[in-house]
Amino acid sequence: MSDAVHEFTLDALEWQPYVKPVDLQTATPEQLDALKVTPSNTKVSAYVLVLAQETEMLAERSPLFNDIMYSDGGLSRGGRELGALAASFVNHCIYCAQVHANRFIQLEKRPEVVEEIYQNGLDADLGEHDQALFNFGVDLTAHPDNVGVYQFYHLRETGLSDLEILDLIHSVAIFGWANRLMHTLGEPHRKD
Amino acid sequence: MTTETTVDVIDKVLGLGPSSPLLALRDERAKLKHLTQTSYVAALHPSDPRNFSYAERATLAARMAALWTSQELLAHYRDLATTEGASGDVLSIADPAWTPEDEAGRLSVILRHVDLVTKNPKAATRDNIEKLYAAGLDDRDIVTLAGIIAFVNYQVLVVAGLKMLRDN
Repeated sequence: MSDAVHEFTLDALEWQPYVKPVDLQTATPEQLDALKVTPSNTKVSAYVLVLAQETEMLAERSPLFNDIMYSDGGLSRGGRELGALAASFVNHCIYCAQVHANRFIQLEKRPEVVEEIYQNGLDADLGEHDQALFNFGVDLTAHPDNVGVYQFYHLRETGLSDLEILDLIHSVAIFGWANRLMHTLGEPHRKD
Repeated sequence: MTTETTVDVIDKVLGLGPSSPLLALRDERAKLKHLTQTSYVAALHPSDPRNFSYAERATLAARMAALWTSQELLAHYRDLATTEGASGDVLSIADPAWTPEDEAGRLSVILRHVDLVTKNPKAATRDNIEKLYAAGLDDRDIVTLAGIIAFVNYQVLVVAGLKMLRDN
């Protein structure tokens, strides 16, 4: 087994838990039911199997996550991935960052944005629109007690509507949630 | 907690009345709003609280709201702690300056984990999970605790962002 990865990377990773996952063979009906709401039924990830230890929370969390990241209208899918990436950089969730950086590249076809973030981290120098989204993600994640008129002005300045700002808030906040699970309950290893 | 399950907590703490433009905006994302509320119930008042009492969950949430100086959520969770019957050490949890006398006990270990993962999650390592096991928590307890911490931090961020929209 390869060593755990502690630096940001775009390479394929596998998340390994510190906590025992639920065993699908002996899972209760409630656990199986909660596991069903994830996109893939047949191959359940170790991460989701760990969260299945607490079925009632998982059953609400999976559809919430999907609605925040994939609902129609409002902020672009790529914009939401940028919010997720900003949060994951602040919270140092290597695995979350890898997944959502690659998803951003896939959706936006602009790998240079991700390259700049991976090179300069929270000081990344981006185009105006991306910068506004990224900076808001960093500020809300690092200082939720200090978000106000300054952040709002920059979001408006780049032309975001109320609904787009609402979507950005949720995409950052749900990674305040996801990072605190993924980064604390296990760690990523490079895929062989 | 019958009222808490029917009243949207975030609307309530932000004082969003029927004529509020922000309420109308939130309702454009009705599914997400509903699932945020059901997640709140799952974290704070699940059908089987097991090894984390409702009172303990509410005071842990109050502590996290206090760590982020989220006054609206802090007031809400203090009230909820009272409703859930918090007293003694459990009531003290809500104050981030308070630490239990027994520094090696279950509650001390839990509070150190809550404080770390709330304010500085990037510093968390496998060692922090090992400490929870050593304090007597089982696999499910650890996932439960992680879930409570993660949900309340999500809620703090959502409330902070919505407040920005409300006030500008």
